[in-house]
Amino acid sequence: MLRAEGLTKRYRQGEVEITALDDFSYDFPPGVTAVVGPSGSGKTTLLNLLAGFDRPTAGTVELAGMRIDDLGEDERASVRLKNAGFVFQSWNLLPTLTALENVAFPLLLAGVARAERNRRARELLERVGLAGRADHRPNQLSGGEQQRVAIARALALEPAVLFADEPTGNLDSAAGAKVLDLLLEHAAGERRLVLVTHDLQVAARAARVLHLRDGRLVQVEDRG
Amino acid sequence: MELLVLVWRNLTARLTRSLFTWLGIAVATASMVLFLSFGEGLRQALAAEMGNMGPQIRVVAQGTDAFSPPLPELPPEMLGQIEALAPALGIQRIIPAVVMFRGGFDPATSFLFYGLPEGADPRDFYPPAKAAAGRIDPHPDGAVVGAKKAELNHLTLGKPLRLSREVTVPVVGVLEPAGSMVDSFIFVPMKTLQEVLGTKNYGVFLLQLDPTADVEEVARKLEAAIPGIDAQSTTEALKFAERALRIGDLIRFGISLVALVVGGLLVANTVMMSVYERTREFGVMRAIGARRRFIFGLVLSEALFLALAGGVAGVIAGVAGSALINTYTQQAVGLALSAVTPRLALFSMGVALVLGLVAGLLPARNASRIPVTEALGRI
Ligand SMILES: Nc1ncnc2c1ncn2[C@@H]1O[C@H](COP(=O)(O)OP(=O)(O)OP(=O)(O)O)[C@@H](O)[C@H]1O
Ligand SMILES: [Mg+2]
Repeated sequence: MLRAEGLTKRYRQGEVEITALDDFSYDFPPGVTAVVGPSGSGKTTLLNLLAGFDRPTAGTVELAGMRIDDLGEDERASVRLKNAGFVFQSWNLLPTLTALENVAFPLLLAGVARAERNRRARELLERVGLAGRADHRPNQLSGGEQQRVAIARALALEPAVLFADEPTGNLDSAAGAKVLDLLLEHAAGERRLVLVTHDLQVAARAARVLHLRDGRLVQVEDRG
Repeated sequence: MELLVLVWRNLTARLTRSLFTWLGIAVATASMVLFLSFGEGLRQALAAEMGNMGPQIRVVAQGTDAFSPPLPELPPEMLGQIEALAPALGIQRIIPAVVMFRGGFDPATSFLFYGLPEGADPRDFYPPAKAAAGRIDPHPDGAVVGAKKAELNHLTLGKPLRLSREVTVPVVGVLEPAGSMVDSFIFVPMKTLQEVLGTKNYGVFLLQLDPTADVEEVARKLEAAIPGIDAQSTTEALKFAERALRIGDLIRFGISLVALVVGGLLVANTVMMSVYERTREFGVMRAIGARRRFIFGLVLSEALFLALAGGVAGVIAGVAGSALINTYTQQAVGLALSAVTPRLALFSMGVALVLGLVAGLLPARNASRIPVTEALGRI
């Protein structure tokens, strides 16, 4: 499960206080939920709080049956490792590791033995159509391929929730479509995908679209 | 194991920088190893010199220090005085000797002559001594030359050796190399040397004691009984030398500390820069679920790895440098002055590691404390 209640984040910049997210409440159902809104409306802030990268000024976040808003850094990291996967706009991969090693990285953190790790990483790369690129470094991969490796890595520990912040933002439409298809494909069943985008065509593929404006949730569009 | 792969990948990704840092630590460690190897070498040489002789006392005229050749200032009747005391003090053998040093600035023009009485030979100075050619005994009127001295001055059997304008003796024996000071000595009959010096006095009495005797106690009793002498025991000399060596070690370590600090700053700088450049990388790791300890360990391991690799290279270079120094000092003074003992190698590795640890701690702490959102935001 993924649920936010009264989620608020304020940043203080000297004298000025910015409310980046204001009293956000939503219970994310399984499937794809898109978050849209103009630049600066608080989309990334929301994602950071839901994923436990940051702690809210007020409100609660429940991820996989656990309150994470009052957990410490390392505890949140552990919850993330087992329950959440991420795809950012760019620069997702560890540059000194090969595609295979990048995908295996969460498994390494989780303490999976080497042989098993490599077997699963290879399988995941196959699922995103990159079996032939296992030994490439990120700088030897195209932007679209890099995003697909990031998706494979996000899926490595079978997380309950996937977070994606503008995953197609840096890609041309063909590569973007491929990445999006992969993401949507793996958000089937009980899994949840929170997809931040300002591309309305991307948002149109989601079951629900949350509209943010000035940090407030102004509209929930259910597309059935 | 897996952490090491990450460390290795990152260090090789910035190869030139890593190599320079590694070299810096290697040079710093090697310089420390070399500096300190002198102390260790002297210690070993001393222990070899003294350890070969068993409990011994050197009697010289008061005011002669432990390491310079004694002047012939002990009158002949003193021999009788000591002989009279010998049974009570456990003195088994008394070897009177005369020493003559003819100095030059380089080893080829310096000569150290030992005049030995009949019945004494180089083995009384260095028990394992052996003749490589000719005799080991200089009597009745020849010279037995240490290996180094023979090589340096091309002294072979039968060659004449001039002690003064009037006195010349033939070389009757050449010793095998011993790795001891004996290598630079020339042994001649005592009568001959006394004649050259124009004296009936002795320069030194070497007393060999009963193995159960308390050397320092005997030395004290001798000094009390016979005024005007210094009775120097081997243990006392060793203690004195050890104290001097310790001070020398401290000074040498102090000097090499400068190089070490520079090496440490190099590591700190390399790791700090690499941490700064990889902020985003650490952000991604943390986002995926790495704990702060993981990042801390990763960065610290990099510093330690650099320090360890540099330390190993430094010790190896130090061993090579020490061997080089020894080939020179063997020629010059017949002694291996530099030694890289296991404990010195271990100590140097330890210092290099501590260096890496100290240099790595701050960058590691910084890297592990950057908030995830900030790290992700920085590219
Ligand atoms: N660390 C911070 N310190 C101060 N203000 C911040 C910080 N992070 C975000 N903000 C502010 O909070 C607001 C929301 O930012 P956020 O990054 O969530 O917007 P966004 O919807 O993701 O925009 P974009 O579409 O441009 O990515 C903005 O006004 C931003 O300036
Ligand atoms: Mg954003």
